[in-house]
Amino acid sequence: MAGTPTAAGIKRTSSWRQFKAILRKDIVMELRTFEMLTSMGLYTLLTLVIYQIALSQSGSAFDVRQIAAGLLWLAFVFTSMLGLNRSLVHEKDQGCLEALLLSPVDRPVIFFAKATGNLIFLLIVEVLTIPLFFGMFLTRPIVGDWWMIPIAMFVGAVGIAGVGTLLATISVNTRGRDFILAVLFIPIMFPLLLSVVGATSVVIYGPLDPGLFWRDIGLAAAYDAIMLLAAFGLYEFVISA
Amino acid sequence: MDRKKLTYWALGVGALLTTVGFLLAFLVASPTQMMRTTDSGKGAIIAGSYISHLIDYGQKIFFFHVPVAIASFLVFFFAAYFAVRFLMTRDRMYDTKARIAMEVTLIFTTLTMLTGDLWTRWAWGVWWTWEPRLTTYLIMLLLVIGYFVLRASVEDEEKRAVYAAAFSIIAFLDAPISFAITRIVPAGSEAHPVVIGVPGGLSGEQLAAFLLAMFGMLAFGYVIYQLRSREELAKERIEALKAALED
Repeated sequence: MAGTPTAAGIKRTSSWRQFKAILRKDIVMELRTFEMLTSMGLYTLLTLVIYQIALSQSGSAFDVRQIAAGLLWLAFVFTSMLGLNRSLVHEKDQGCLEALLLSPVDRPVIFFAKATGNLIFLLIVEVLTIPLFFGMFLTRPIVGDWWMIPIAMFVGAVGIAGVGTLLATISVNTRGRDFILAVLFIPIMFPLLLSVVGATSVVIYGPLDPGLFWRDIGLAAAYDAIMLLAAFGLYEFVISA
Repeated sequence: MDRKKLTYWALGVGALLTTVGFLLAFLVASPTQMMRTTDSGKGAIIAGSYISHLIDYGQKIFFFHVPVAIASFLVFFFAAYFAVRFLMTRDRMYDTKARIAMEVTLIFTTLTMLTGDLWTRWAWGVWWTWEPRLTTYLIMLLLVIGYFVLRASVEDEEKRAVYAAAFSIIAFLDAPISFAITRIVPAGSEAHPVVIGVPGGLSGEQLAAFLLAMFGMLAFGYVIYQLRSREELAKERIEALKAALED
Protein backbone atom coordinates (compact mmCIF):
# COMPACT_ATOMS: atom_id res chain seq x y z
CA MET A 1 0.00 0.00 0.00
CA ALA A 2 1.23 3.50 -0.75
CA GLY A 3 2.30 5.41 2.27
CA THR A 4 2.58 2.45 4.61
CA PRO A 5 4.98 3.63 7.30
CA THR A 6 7.23 0.55 7.25
CA ALA A 7 10.79 0.99 6.07
CA ALA A 8 10.42 -1.38 3.14
CA GLY A 9 7.12 0.16 2.16
CA ILE A 10 8.51 3.68 2.09
CA LYS A 11 11.48 2.65 0.02
CA ARG A 12 9.43 0.87 -2.59
CA THR A 13 6.94 3.69 -2.82
CA SER A 14 9.69 6.24 -3.19
CA SER A 15 11.43 4.41 -6.06
CA TRP A 16 8.14 4.11 -7.82
CA ARG A 17 7.42 7.76 -7.11
CA GLN A 18 10.79 8.83 -8.47
CA PHE A 19 10.05 6.84 -11.59
CA LYS A 20 6.65 8.46 -11.95
CA ALA A 21 8.04 11.93 -11.31
CA ILE A 22 10.70 11.68 -14.02
CA LEU A 23 8.27 10.13 -16.47
CA ARG A 24 5.68 12.80 -15.72
CA LYS A 25 8.26 15.52 -16.22
CA ASP A 26 9.02 14.17 -19.69
CA ILE A 27 5.37 13.85 -20.61
CA VAL A 28 4.41 17.28 -19.25
CA MET A 29 7.32 18.86 -21.09
CA GLU A 30 6.19 17.16 -24.26
CA LEU A 31 2.55 18.17 -23.80
CA ARG A 32 3.59 21.80 -23.48
CA THR A 33 5.43 21.96 -26.77
CA PHE A 34 4.63 18.72 -28.66
CA GLU A 35 8.13 19.17 -30.00
CA MET A 36 9.24 15.55 -30.06
CA LEU A 37 5.99 14.11 -31.34
CA THR A 38 5.64 16.67 -34.12
CA SER A 39 9.23 16.29 -35.23
CA MET A 40 9.09 12.48 -35.11
CA GLY A 41 5.70 12.35 -36.80
CA LEU A 42 6.67 14.78 -39.51
CA TYR A 43 9.92 12.94 -40.10
CA THR A 44 8.02 9.68 -40.52
CA LEU A 45 5.62 11.33 -42.95
CA LEU A 46 8.57 12.62 -44.98
CA THR A 47 10.04 9.11 -44.98
CA LEU A 48 6.77 7.82 -46.41
CA VAL A 49 6.97 10.46 -49.15
CA ILE A 50 10.46 9.21 -49.97
CA TYR A 51 9.08 5.67 -50.15
CA GLN A 52 6.65 6.90 -52.75
CA ILE A 53 9.61 8.20 -54.78
CA ALA A 54 11.47 4.93 -54.31
CA LEU A 55 8.45 2.88 -55.39
CA SER A 56 7.29 5.26 -58.12
CA GLN A 57 8.76 3.18 -60.95
CA SER A 58 7.78 -0.23 -59.65
CA GLY A 59 4.47 -0.44 -61.48
CA SER A 60 1.19 -1.91 -60.38
CA ALA A 61 2.33 -5.52 -60.73
CA PHE A 62 4.77 -5.12 -57.89
CA ASP A 63 3.44 -6.35 -54.57
CA VAL A 64 4.52 -3.85 -51.93
CA ARG A 65 3.64 -6.35 -49.22
CA GLN A 66 6.86 -8.19 -49.99
CA ILE A 67 8.94 -5.36 -48.57
CA ALA A 68 6.32 -3.59 -46.46
CA ALA A 69 7.63 -4.84 -43.11
CA GLY A 70 11.11 -3.60 -43.91
CA LEU A 71 9.83 -0.20 -45.04
CA LEU A 72 7.75 0.18 -41.92
CA TRP A 73 10.64 -0.59 -39.59
CA LEU A 74 13.01 1.58 -41.57
CA ALA A 75 10.74 4.55 -40.88
CA PHE A 76 10.65 3.67 -37.17
CA VAL A 77 14.40 3.28 -36.92
CA PHE A 78 15.08 6.68 -38.38
CA THR A 79 12.40 8.45 -36.42
CA SER A 80 13.43 6.73 -33.20
CA MET A 81 17.00 7.92 -33.62
CA LEU A 82 15.67 11.44 -34.00
CA GLY A 83 13.49 11.07 -30.91
CA LEU A 84 16.16 9.43 -28.74
CA ASN A 85 18.61 12.14 -29.57
CA ARG A 86 16.02 14.82 -28.83
CA SER A 87 15.00 13.37 -25.50
CA LEU A 88 18.56 13.43 -24.18
CA VAL A 89 19.60 16.70 -25.80
CA HIS A 90 16.88 18.44 -23.81
CA GLU A 91 18.16 16.95 -20.60
CA LYS A 92 21.72 17.85 -21.37
CA ASP A 93 21.40 21.35 -22.78
CA GLN A 94 19.02 22.64 -20.15
CA GLY A 95 21.10 21.19 -17.36
CA CYS A 96 18.29 18.88 -16.35
CA LEU A 97 20.50 15.82 -16.35
CA GLU A 98 22.83 17.38 -13.80
CA ALA A 99 19.92 18.31 -11.60
CA LEU A 100 18.64 14.74 -11.84
CA LEU A 101 22.04 13.41 -10.84
CA LEU A 102 22.23 15.80 -7.90
CA SER A 103 18.81 14.80 -6.61
CA PRO A 104 18.61 11.65 -4.48
CA VAL A 105 17.26 9.48 -7.28
CA ASP A 106 18.50 5.95 -7.86
CA ARG A 107 20.38 5.72 -11.15
CA PRO A 108 18.43 2.68 -12.39
CA VAL A 109 15.23 4.66 -11.86
CA ILE A 110 16.52 7.35 -14.21
CA PHE A 111 17.24 4.71 -16.82
CA PHE A 112 13.83 3.09 -16.60
CA ALA A 113 12.00 6.41 -16.52
CA LYS A 114 13.82 7.78 -19.55
CA ALA A 115 13.46 4.52 -21.44
CA THR A 116 9.75 4.34 -20.64
CA GLY A 117 9.27 7.91 -21.80
CA ASN A 118 11.02 7.14 -25.07
CA LEU A 119 8.99 3.96 -25.43
CA ILE A 120 5.72 5.85 -25.01
CA PHE A 121 6.62 8.47 -27.62
CA LEU A 122 7.82 5.83 -30.04
CA LEU A 123 4.63 3.81 -29.58
CA ILE A 124 2.49 6.89 -30.22
CA VAL A 125 4.38 7.55 -33.45
CA GLU A 126 4.02 3.90 -34.45
CA VAL A 127 0.29 3.89 -33.79
CA LEU A 128 -0.12 7.00 -35.94
CA THR A 129 2.16 5.73 -38.70
CA ILE A 130 0.85 2.21 -39.25
CA PRO A 131 -2.64 3.13 -40.54
CA LEU A 132 -1.10 5.87 -42.65
CA PHE A 133 1.40 3.46 -44.16
CA PHE A 134 -1.23 0.81 -44.80
CA GLY A 135 -3.57 3.29 -46.42
CA MET A 136 -0.89 4.81 -48.58
CA PHE A 137 1.00 1.76 -49.77
CA LEU A 138 -0.87 -1.48 -49.19
CA THR A 139 -3.58 -2.09 -51.73
CA ARG A 140 -3.88 -5.80 -50.99
CA PRO A 141 -5.03 -7.22 -47.66
CA ILE A 142 -2.52 -8.58 -45.19
CA VAL A 143 -2.48 -12.34 -44.79
CA GLY A 144 -2.22 -12.61 -40.99
CA ASP A 145 -4.34 -11.37 -38.12
CA TRP A 146 -4.09 -7.63 -37.55
CA TRP A 147 -3.46 -7.93 -33.79
CA MET A 148 -0.13 -9.60 -34.44
CA ILE A 149 1.31 -6.35 -35.79
CA PRO A 150 1.04 -4.42 -32.49
CA ILE A 151 2.82 -7.29 -30.75
CA ALA A 152 5.76 -7.07 -33.14
CA MET A 153 5.74 -3.29 -32.89
CA PHE A 154 5.78 -3.39 -29.10
CA VAL A 155 8.59 -5.95 -28.80
CA GLY A 156 10.68 -3.98 -31.27
CA ALA A 157 9.97 -0.65 -29.62
CA VAL A 158 11.00 -1.98 -26.19
CA GLY A 159 14.44 -2.90 -27.50
CA ILE A 160 14.85 0.33 -29.43
CA ALA A 161 13.84 2.48 -26.45
CA GLY A 162 15.87 0.49 -23.90
CA VAL A 163 19.20 0.16 -25.66
CA GLY A 164 18.61 3.44 -27.48
CA THR A 165 18.37 5.31 -24.19
CA LEU A 166 21.79 4.04 -23.16
CA LEU A 167 23.36 4.82 -26.53
CA ALA A 168 21.74 8.26 -26.70
CA THR A 169 23.03 9.06 -23.22
CA ILE A 170 26.49 8.23 -24.54
CA SER A 171 26.17 10.04 -27.84
CA VAL A 172 24.71 13.22 -26.37
CA ASN A 173 28.02 13.79 -24.62
CA THR A 174 30.08 13.50 -27.77
CA ARG A 175 30.88 15.80 -30.64
CA GLY A 176 28.56 15.14 -33.57
CA ARG A 177 25.74 13.74 -31.46
CA ASP A 178 23.25 12.43 -34.00
CA PHE A 179 25.93 10.99 -36.23
CA ILE A 180 27.52 9.11 -33.35
CA LEU A 181 24.12 7.80 -32.30
CA ALA A 182 23.56 6.38 -35.79
CA VAL A 183 27.01 4.77 -35.88
CA LEU A 184 26.43 3.06 -32.53
CA PHE A 185 22.72 2.40 -32.85
CA ILE A 186 22.32 0.69 -36.22
CA PRO A 187 24.82 -2.18 -35.84
CA ILE A 188 23.68 -2.84 -32.27
CA MET A 189 20.04 -2.90 -33.38
CA PHE A 190 20.69 -5.14 -36.36
CA PRO A 191 19.64 -8.51 -34.85
CA LEU A 192 16.53 -7.03 -33.25
CA LEU A 193 15.42 -5.35 -36.45
CA LEU A 194 16.03 -8.48 -38.47
CA SER A 195 13.79 -10.53 -36.20
CA VAL A 196 10.97 -7.98 -35.87
CA VAL A 197 10.98 -7.39 -39.61
CA GLY A 198 10.74 -11.16 -40.00
CA ALA A 199 7.78 -11.31 -37.64
CA THR A 200 6.01 -8.33 -39.22
CA SER A 201 6.57 -9.72 -42.69
CA VAL A 202 4.96 -13.02 -41.72
CA VAL A 203 1.81 -11.09 -40.81
CA ILE A 204 1.77 -8.79 -43.84
CA TYR A 205 2.96 -11.09 -46.60
CA GLY A 206 3.22 -14.59 -45.23
CA PRO A 207 3.81 -17.49 -45.27
CA LEU A 208 0.94 -17.67 -42.82
CA ASP A 209 2.62 -19.67 -40.10
CA PRO A 210 2.06 -18.66 -36.47
CA GLY A 211 5.08 -20.75 -35.48
CA LEU A 212 7.31 -18.60 -37.65
CA PHE A 213 5.82 -15.43 -36.20
CA TRP A 214 6.25 -16.52 -32.59
CA ARG A 215 9.76 -17.77 -33.26
CA ASP A 216 10.79 -14.33 -34.49
CA ILE A 217 8.97 -12.60 -31.64
CA GLY A 218 10.74 -14.93 -29.23
CA LEU A 219 14.13 -14.06 -30.70
CA ALA A 220 13.35 -10.36 -30.50
CA ALA A 221 12.15 -10.76 -26.91
CA ALA A 222 15.33 -12.63 -26.02
CA TYR A 223 17.36 -9.80 -27.52
CA ASP A 224 15.31 -7.32 -25.50
CA ALA A 225 15.88 -9.23 -22.29
CA ILE A 226 19.66 -9.58 -22.72
CA MET A 227 20.27 -6.09 -24.00
CA LEU A 228 17.98 -4.36 -21.51
CA LEU A 229 19.77 -6.10 -18.67
CA ALA A 230 23.14 -5.03 -20.07
CA ALA A 231 21.96 -1.46 -20.70
CA PHE A 232 20.47 -1.31 -17.22
CA GLY A 233 23.74 -2.53 -15.70
CA LEU A 234 25.89 -0.14 -17.70
CA TYR A 235 23.68 2.94 -17.37
CA GLU A 236 24.92 3.83 -13.94
CA PHE A 237 28.51 3.99 -15.16
CA VAL A 238 27.61 5.96 -18.25
CA ILE A 239 25.43 8.55 -16.59
CA SER A 240 27.86 9.20 -13.75
CA ALA A 241 30.88 9.59 -16.05
CA MET B 1 60.60 -14.94 -18.61
CA ASP B 2 59.85 -11.26 -18.94
CA ARG B 3 57.26 -9.89 -21.27
CA LYS B 4 59.72 -8.53 -23.82
CA LYS B 5 61.38 -11.89 -24.26
CA LEU B 6 58.03 -13.63 -24.43
CA THR B 7 56.93 -11.26 -27.19
CA TYR B 8 59.94 -12.09 -29.33
CA TRP B 9 59.47 -15.77 -28.67
CA ALA B 10 55.84 -15.50 -29.68
CA LEU B 11 56.88 -13.66 -32.82
CA GLY B 12 59.27 -16.47 -33.76
CA VAL B 13 56.78 -19.18 -32.92
CA GLY B 14 54.02 -17.41 -34.82
CA ALA B 15 56.17 -16.98 -37.91
CA LEU B 16 57.28 -20.60 -37.78
CA LEU B 17 53.83 -22.08 -37.17
CA THR B 18 52.05 -20.06 -39.83
CA THR B 19 54.79 -20.73 -42.41
CA VAL B 20 54.78 -24.46 -41.73
CA GLY B 21 50.99 -24.45 -41.65
CA PHE B 22 50.71 -22.71 -45.04
CA LEU B 23 53.40 -24.93 -46.59
CA LEU B 24 51.56 -27.97 -45.31
CA ALA B 25 48.31 -26.60 -46.67
CA PHE B 26 49.71 -26.07 -50.15
CA LEU B 27 52.11 -28.99 -50.49
CA VAL B 28 50.72 -31.81 -48.41
CA ALA B 29 47.03 -31.37 -47.70
CA SER B 30 44.98 -32.49 -50.66
CA PRO B 31 42.08 -30.39 -51.85
CA THR B 32 38.86 -32.03 -50.84
CA GLN B 33 35.18 -31.48 -50.93
CA MET B 34 35.27 -29.31 -47.85
CA MET B 35 32.56 -26.97 -48.97
CA ARG B 36 29.41 -28.19 -47.41
CA THR B 37 27.25 -25.58 -49.06
CA THR B 38 23.85 -26.51 -47.68
CA ASP B 39 22.45 -28.88 -45.14
CA SER B 40 21.62 -31.34 -47.89
CA GLY B 41 25.22 -31.02 -49.08
CA LYS B 42 24.16 -30.22 -52.60
CA GLY B 43 25.12 -26.62 -53.26
CA ALA B 44 23.39 -23.28 -52.96
CA ILE B 45 21.89 -20.46 -54.96
CA ILE B 46 24.03 -17.35 -54.77
CA ALA B 47 22.97 -14.21 -56.63
CA GLY B 48 20.62 -16.21 -58.80
CA SER B 49 23.02 -18.88 -59.97
CA TYR B 50 23.64 -22.34 -58.69
CA ILE B 51 26.97 -22.86 -56.97
CA SER B 52 28.13 -26.42 -56.57
CA HIS B 53 31.07 -27.75 -54.63
CA LEU B 54 34.28 -26.53 -56.11
CA ILE B 55 37.37 -28.58 -55.67
CA ASP B 56 40.20 -26.26 -56.52
CA TYR B 57 43.05 -24.32 -55.06
CA GLY B 58 40.75 -21.47 -54.08
CA GLN B 59 39.99 -23.30 -50.87
CA LYS B 60 43.61 -22.91 -49.73
CA ILE B 61 42.69 -19.45 -48.49
CA PHE B 62 40.80 -21.33 -45.78
CA PHE B 63 44.07 -21.82 -43.93
CA PHE B 64 44.47 -18.08 -43.60
CA HIS B 65 40.85 -16.99 -43.44
CA VAL B 66 39.65 -19.17 -40.58
CA PRO B 67 42.65 -18.67 -38.26
CA VAL B 68 42.37 -14.88 -38.48
CA ALA B 69 38.61 -15.13 -37.96
CA ILE B 70 39.06 -17.20 -34.82
CA ALA B 71 41.78 -14.87 -33.61
CA SER B 72 39.50 -11.87 -34.16
CA PHE B 73 36.79 -13.36 -31.94
CA LEU B 74 39.31 -14.14 -29.25
CA VAL B 75 40.79 -10.64 -29.14
CA PHE B 76 37.30 -9.18 -29.21
CA PHE B 77 36.58 -11.21 -26.11
CA PHE B 78 39.68 -9.81 -24.44
CA ALA B 79 38.70 -6.27 -25.37
CA ALA B 80 35.33 -6.78 -23.68
CA TYR B 81 37.02 -8.43 -20.70
CA PHE B 82 39.36 -5.47 -20.24
CA ALA B 83 36.37 -3.15 -20.56
CA VAL B 84 34.65 -4.97 -17.69
CA ARG B 85 37.85 -4.80 -15.66
CA PHE B 86 38.06 -1.09 -16.34
CA LEU B 87 34.54 -0.43 -15.13
CA MET B 88 35.25 -2.48 -12.01
CA THR B 89 38.58 -0.90 -11.12
CA ARG B 90 38.58 2.47 -12.91
CA ASP B 91 42.22 1.80 -13.65
CA ARG B 92 43.26 3.65 -16.82
CA MET B 93 45.62 0.85 -17.72
CA TYR B 94 42.65 -1.39 -18.50
CA ASP B 95 41.20 1.23 -20.79
CA THR B 96 44.45 1.31 -22.75
CA LYS B 97 44.52 -2.49 -22.84
CA ALA B 98 40.94 -2.64 -24.06
CA ARG B 99 41.65 -0.10 -26.78
CA ILE B 100 44.72 -1.97 -28.00
CA ALA B 101 42.82 -5.26 -27.99
CA MET B 102 40.13 -3.52 -30.02
CA GLU B 103 42.77 -2.33 -32.50
CA VAL B 104 43.97 -5.90 -32.94
CA THR B 105 40.34 -6.94 -33.39
CA LEU B 106 40.03 -4.34 -36.12
CA ILE B 107 43.12 -5.68 -37.90
CA PHE B 108 41.96 -9.29 -37.75
CA THR B 109 38.36 -8.49 -38.63
CA THR B 110 39.51 -6.51 -41.66
CA LEU B 111 41.80 -9.36 -42.71
CA THR B 112 38.95 -11.84 -42.35
CA MET B 113 36.68 -9.65 -44.45
CA LEU B 114 39.32 -9.20 -47.15
CA THR B 115 40.26 -12.87 -47.43
CA GLY B 116 36.64 -13.93 -47.16
CA ASP B 117 35.76 -11.53 -49.93
CA LEU B 118 38.45 -12.90 -52.24
CA TRP B 119 37.19 -16.39 -51.55
CA THR B 120 33.58 -15.37 -52.10
CA ARG B 121 34.47 -13.87 -55.47
CA TRP B 122 36.37 -16.99 -56.46
CA ALA B 123 34.05 -19.68 -55.20
CA TRP B 124 30.64 -18.04 -55.50
CA GLY B 125 31.27 -15.56 -58.28
CA VAL B 126 30.10 -12.52 -56.32
CA TRP B 127 31.91 -9.92 -54.24
CA TRP B 128 29.23 -9.88 -51.65
CA THR B 129 26.19 -11.84 -50.62
CA TRP B 130 24.02 -11.44 -47.54
CA GLU B 131 24.88 -14.81 -46.17
CA PRO B 132 24.49 -15.13 -42.36
CA ARG B 133 28.17 -15.33 -41.52
CA LEU B 134 29.14 -12.58 -43.90
CA THR B 135 26.38 -10.40 -42.50
CA THR B 136 27.41 -11.04 -38.91
CA TYR B 137 30.98 -10.29 -39.75
CA LEU B 138 30.09 -7.02 -41.41
CA ILE B 139 28.09 -6.04 -38.34
CA MET B 140 31.04 -6.92 -36.13
CA LEU B 141 33.34 -4.82 -38.28
CA LEU B 142 30.89 -1.91 -38.04
CA LEU B 143 30.75 -2.29 -34.26
CA VAL B 144 34.53 -2.15 -34.01
CA ILE B 145 34.64 0.88 -36.29
CA GLY B 146 31.87 2.46 -34.21
CA TYR B 147 34.02 1.94 -31.12
CA PHE B 148 36.82 4.02 -32.60
CA VAL B 149 34.46 6.66 -33.98
CA LEU B 150 33.03 6.98 -30.49
CA ARG B 151 36.46 7.30 -28.91
CA ALA B 152 37.48 9.96 -31.40
CA SER B 153 34.49 12.11 -30.62
CA VAL B 154 34.82 12.39 -26.84
CA GLU B 155 37.28 14.93 -25.49
CA ASP B 156 37.19 14.15 -21.81
CA GLU B 157 39.50 11.27 -21.00
CA GLU B 158 37.46 9.78 -18.17
CA LYS B 159 34.22 9.95 -20.14
CA ARG B 160 35.84 8.51 -23.22
CA ALA B 161 37.08 5.52 -21.29
CA VAL B 162 33.71 4.81 -19.65
CA TYR B 163 31.69 5.22 -22.84
CA ALA B 164 34.08 3.09 -24.84
CA ALA B 165 33.97 0.37 -22.19
CA ALA B 166 30.16 0.41 -22.05
CA PHE B 167 29.88 0.27 -25.82
CA SER B 168 32.39 -2.53 -26.23
CA ILE B 169 30.50 -4.66 -23.69
CA ILE B 170 27.20 -4.07 -25.50
CA ALA B 171 28.91 -4.76 -28.82
CA PHE B 172 30.43 -7.99 -27.55
CA LEU B 173 26.97 -9.17 -26.46
CA ASP B 174 25.50 -8.10 -29.77
CA ALA B 175 27.89 -10.08 -31.97
CA PRO B 176 26.81 -13.61 -30.96
CA ILE B 177 23.13 -12.60 -30.95
CA SER B 178 23.41 -11.34 -34.49
CA PHE B 179 25.30 -14.51 -35.39
CA ALA B 180 22.37 -16.57 -34.12
CA ILE B 181 19.60 -14.41 -35.53
CA THR B 182 21.07 -14.00 -38.99
CA ARG B 183 21.13 -17.79 -39.24
CA ILE B 184 17.59 -18.35 -38.01
CA VAL B 185 15.47 -15.55 -39.42
CA PRO B 186 16.16 -15.05 -43.15
CA ALA B 187 14.47 -17.31 -45.62
CA GLY B 188 17.60 -17.64 -47.79
CA SER B 189 19.97 -20.56 -47.87
CA GLU B 190 23.14 -20.84 -45.92
CA ALA B 191 26.11 -21.02 -48.24
CA HIS B 192 29.12 -20.61 -46.01
CA PRO B 193 31.15 -23.81 -45.73
CA VAL B 194 31.10 -25.54 -42.37
CA VAL B 195 34.07 -27.80 -41.82
CA ILE B 196 34.65 -28.00 -38.12
CA GLY B 197 32.60 -30.56 -36.26
CA VAL B 198 30.98 -32.11 -39.33
CA PRO B 199 31.72 -35.63 -40.57
CA GLY B 200 34.17 -35.67 -43.44
CA GLY B 201 35.19 -32.06 -42.70
CA LEU B 202 38.95 -31.94 -42.49
CA SER B 203 41.38 -34.74 -43.20
CA GLY B 204 44.31 -35.39 -40.89
CA GLU B 205 46.90 -33.32 -42.73
CA GLN B 206 44.41 -30.53 -43.35
CA LEU B 207 43.60 -30.40 -39.68
CA ALA B 208 47.30 -30.28 -38.84
CA ALA B 209 47.89 -27.43 -41.29
CA PHE B 210 44.86 -25.60 -39.97
CA LEU B 211 45.82 -25.96 -36.32
CA LEU B 212 49.40 -24.84 -36.97
CA ALA B 213 48.18 -21.78 -38.86
CA MET B 214 45.65 -21.04 -36.14
CA PHE B 215 48.06 -21.17 -33.24
CA GLY B 216 50.55 -19.18 -35.28
CA MET B 217 47.92 -16.54 -35.88
CA LEU B 218 47.02 -16.40 -32.18
CA ALA B 219 50.70 -15.92 -31.40
CA PHE B 220 50.79 -13.06 -33.91
CA GLY B 221 47.76 -11.52 -32.25
CA TYR B 222 49.61 -11.60 -28.95
CA VAL B 223 52.71 -10.08 -30.53
CA ILE B 224 50.82 -7.20 -32.12
CA TYR B 225 49.05 -6.57 -28.84
CA GLN B 226 52.29 -6.55 -26.84
CA LEU B 227 54.17 -4.36 -29.28
CA ARG B 228 51.35 -1.82 -29.33
CA SER B 229 51.21 -1.91 -25.53
CA ARG B 230 54.88 -1.13 -25.30
CA GLU B 231 54.47 1.74 -27.74
CA GLU B 232 51.60 3.14 -25.68
CA LEU B 233 53.55 2.74 -22.47
CA ALA B 234 56.51 4.58 -23.96
CA LYS B 235 54.16 7.31 -25.17
CA GLU B 236 52.68 7.72 -21.72
CA ARG B 237 56.11 7.95 -20.17
CA ILE B 238 57.13 10.64 -22.65
CA GLU B 239 53.97 12.59 -21.83
CA ALA B 240 54.69 12.28 -18.13
CA LEU B 241 58.28 13.45 -18.64
CA LYS B 242 57.11 16.38 -20.73
CA ALA B 243 54.66 17.37 -18.04
CA ALA B 244 57.39 17.10 -15.42
CA LEU B 245 59.71 19.29 -17.50
CA GLU B 246 57.10 21.98 -17.88
CA ASP B 247 56.55 22.26 -14.14
